[in-house]
Amino acid sequence: MRNTVKRYNPPKREIDEMMKPMKSWGLIAGLAGLLACAVARAATATSQWEQPCTELADEIAGILGPGQAQLTIRNASAVSTDEIPAIRRLLEQDLKAKGVQASGAESANAIRVTLSENLRERLWVAEIVEGNETRVAMVTSVLELAAAPSAADKVILQKQQIWHSIWVSDLDPFRGFQSDDSVFAANFTHNGELVLMEPGFIKIARHGFGGYSFHGANIFELPQRQLQARDPRGIIQLSTDGKNFKAFTSGIECDGTFAPPADPSDFKVIGWTVHCHASDDPWPILQIESSTAAPPLKAFFNAARDYFTGVVTPSVAAELPPFYSAALLPRPDGAGLLIDGIDGKVQLAESGSLKTVSGTRDWGSDFAALHSACGTGTQIIASGSGEAITDSLRAYELPALEAIPASAPLAMEGTVTALWSEPDGKSVFAIVRKAAGPGRADSYEVDRVSANCN
Amino acid sequence: MFRQIAISCLLTAMALPAVAHTRPHYGGTLRVEVEGDPWQRPGGLARQLVLDGLTATSVDGNVRPALAVEWKPENDNHRWQFKLRSDVHFHNGTLVSSTNVVAALTAICGAGCPWTTVRAVGSSVIFLSDAPLPSLPELLATDEYRIALSGAEDGALPAGSIGTGPFQFVSFSNGVLLLAANDNCWQGRPFLDSVEIHAHRSIHDQWLDLSVGRADLVEVPAEQLRHAHEQRLNVVVSGPASLLALTVSDTGVLSNANLRASIAYAIDRSALSNVIFQKQGEITGSLLPAELTGYSFLFSTERDLNKAHELRGGASSQQLTIVAEGGPEMQLAAQRMALNLRDAGFNIQVASSGAAQHVDITLRKIALESSEPGPALELMLRKAGSPAPVLEQTPASLYKIERQILDAHMVIPLLYLPCAYGVGGRVRDLRLRADGSPLLAGASLEDAP
Repeated sequence: MRNTVKRYNPPKREIDEMMKPMKSWGLIAGLAGLLACAVARAATATSQWEQPCTELADEIAGILGPGQAQLTIRNASAVSTDEIPAIRRLLEQDLKAKGVQASGAESANAIRVTLSENLRERLWVAEIVEGNETRVAMVTSVLELAAAPSAADKVILQKQQIWHSIWVSDLDPFRGFQSDDSVFAANFTHNGELVLMEPGFIKIARHGFGGYSFHGANIFELPQRQLQARDPRGIIQLSTDGKNFKAFTSGIECDGTFAPPADPSDFKVIGWTVHCHASDDPWPILQIESSTAAPPLKAFFNAARDYFTGVVTPSVAAELPPFYSAALLPRPDGAGLLIDGIDGKVQLAESGSLKTVSGTRDWGSDFAALHSACGTGTQIIASGSGEAITDSLRAYELPALEAIPASAPLAMEGTVTALWSEPDGKSVFAIVRKAAGPGRADSYEVDRVSANCN
Repeated sequence: MFRQIAISCLLTAMALPAVAHTRPHYGGTLRVEVEGDPWQRPGGLARQLVLDGLTATSVDGNVRPALAVEWKPENDNHRWQFKLRSDVHFHNGTLVSSTNVVAALTAICGAGCPWTTVRAVGSSVIFLSDAPLPSLPELLATDEYRIALSGAEDGALPAGSIGTGPFQFVSFSNGVLLLAANDNCWQGRPFLDSVEIHAHRSIHDQWLDLSVGRADLVEVPAEQLRHAHEQRLNVVVSGPASLLALTVSDTGVLSNANLRASIAYAIDRSALSNVIFQKQGEITGSLLPAELTGYSFLFSTERDLNKAHELRGGASSQQLTIVAEGGPEMQLAAQRMALNLRDAGFNIQVASSGAAQHVDITLRKIALESSEPGPALELMLRKAGSPAPVLEQTPASLYKIERQILDAHMVIPLLYLPCAYGVGGRVRDLRLRADGSPLLAGASLEDAP
């Protein structure tokens, strides 16, 4: 058909004639599809009420016994009023099956059903009135959360959980607890081992059956410090061959070196040694990507105030204010250094001057650059404001001096506490603190976030 | 109330700068003003900053680890084991051990503790009780059971002021309590360098100081929330944080259950809410708020004067005494209750708390200390003076417990009230716990040096 059209190139009227039967079939197929969707939706909508209706009818029949009663339904919940007729129908059917006939106002008995809810669940309450006596029955069902809205954008962010904190309870060895030790930096070695910084420790884990596991020999203690911040920060920078790393946290610098273990089959010995010492040296915050041989951009860190002072080496042409995060972006005139000032202003240092970037009001204090094949090729992945318990990440592009959203927000199911680019720049690491629920401490996970073109 | 919360959020949003949110800044002194005593137990703001409990309550109202990292019930909640966090130190450098935790708990409640025995075993603290204590983790998170180092007083500091919290006691002079950041806090150093709490400041003076920038955090009583909004204060408001309730004696003339029921029917909650609390309360007939259970509509909140008269039946002309625990608004509310009861034929007088020799009815606020309905109910019953274990957590079983308690008319729920604070423009990340108290350890100052 396509070849014919190409050769002949018929007028529109002729095409319409040729398409007529197809249009009819298409119309029928479309209608059938719509009908199927409507039926499926109605079935889904009805099916979610079947269980609570059946359970409530059981409870009511158990109290009232066979007979007649006037049934009223009041909606005091978020259930749509459109759903009430279906719920009523189901309830009447279930009651009838158990010998209770829903009748008119003339009945001496009454069943007053209230569709209620609390913070955790739906609660359906039936007040069964027989003469002067009122008895109560209740059933619960799960409260579904509304689906997150989606948006069509240049990129779609995806996350992959690569590690999450777990330790085993001392009181109950069969009970897994989530550790409340905060993780504030992570990276991968050339062998794929995971290096984590926690308050007081650097831990190196090898991936095995069931995920990453730590052995005592690969947990290295950090020297005692005077100040332990409430939101500790750190960085783990790998050497270009991945066989060494430098780790920095408030007032401490550590060197990790790898030497192949004598017995490679010994799972517990993975060949790393770590030596730490007190240090106020600047942290290597960014690798200048045009040349991996070039020294990284280093920034001095104020351990008492938990931010970078603005003094960087090698120096950039512009004078930088104190900042929390930085990212290197390709710009028409070379590279620009994007910084997040402690005053909340996001500024771009390029061509020897510092320019304010707009459109960043929704940004939190963490961002990192990501190189993808989408849009302009470089996106800034920024955390949300951090005010919400469930934080999000979103991609932005910076064609000029206004940050333009390039993706929908990616929900992180926790608070993003650190964010930085992976060495190849094709994905970013995020550390997420998650509220673990009653009786549990917060837990931490390391996620890898990458971008797909939309 | 939700309208007011929305307004509060709007005002907060208006106050936001048009720049990105940053990490919290370290440094600076937060100036807080309070009407009461910041060191009072329970509820003193300074106590919450200086002392930790074995457990704590999070912003969402759930119990979570604090000085204890985990816990385990045994023997049907008659025995509990709490394992302590290692390497935690009191402000004076003393290591926290199970022995000094047991000493602290014993100093708090002595022979009147909810448990029968508490003892130290290794790095654990063991609680034993004759009655089951299913909500012990939640109970230990309340202000009552914060751990202070016992026997370490050197005269310079008040008794029980050496804790493990994010701030440590520095001084208390001329009505100003000064706390400094605990650099070695197990939770990490707080963002603020210090907190200055000005005690015994009237609400009027607090608001004045906030408006001229002399205070960063001031109190906004529920009954003055509307006024605070009119004055365009930046206000943070909690959800339902405390239950305003009458507790009714079951002795003397009130041992007659019909008289107690008559009191319950005579109360006009709407007038109380509209007149005294300026529509800032949530009228309730149940102990737990609707948000936690979904069934509170089953408890009537309507006034029925005929029924009140009928139940009283001319039974008593003996004078009853009502007292109110709390400030002037509680006295006003008690007077309102007395008017309601006189309408129903009761002979009642309002007395000031502490002055009355015999109290028949007490108007009080009972804090909602958990967002788990079972523990919340159990803690409320304990505070209302009727401790009872709440072993089942389903709405149906909680409803049965509430129905049984409320049908005795010894506790009459009236209103749920929020907690609110006026917040200065430089304060960031201030959150409130489920009980409405501010989490100052997580707050910071925008203009910190």
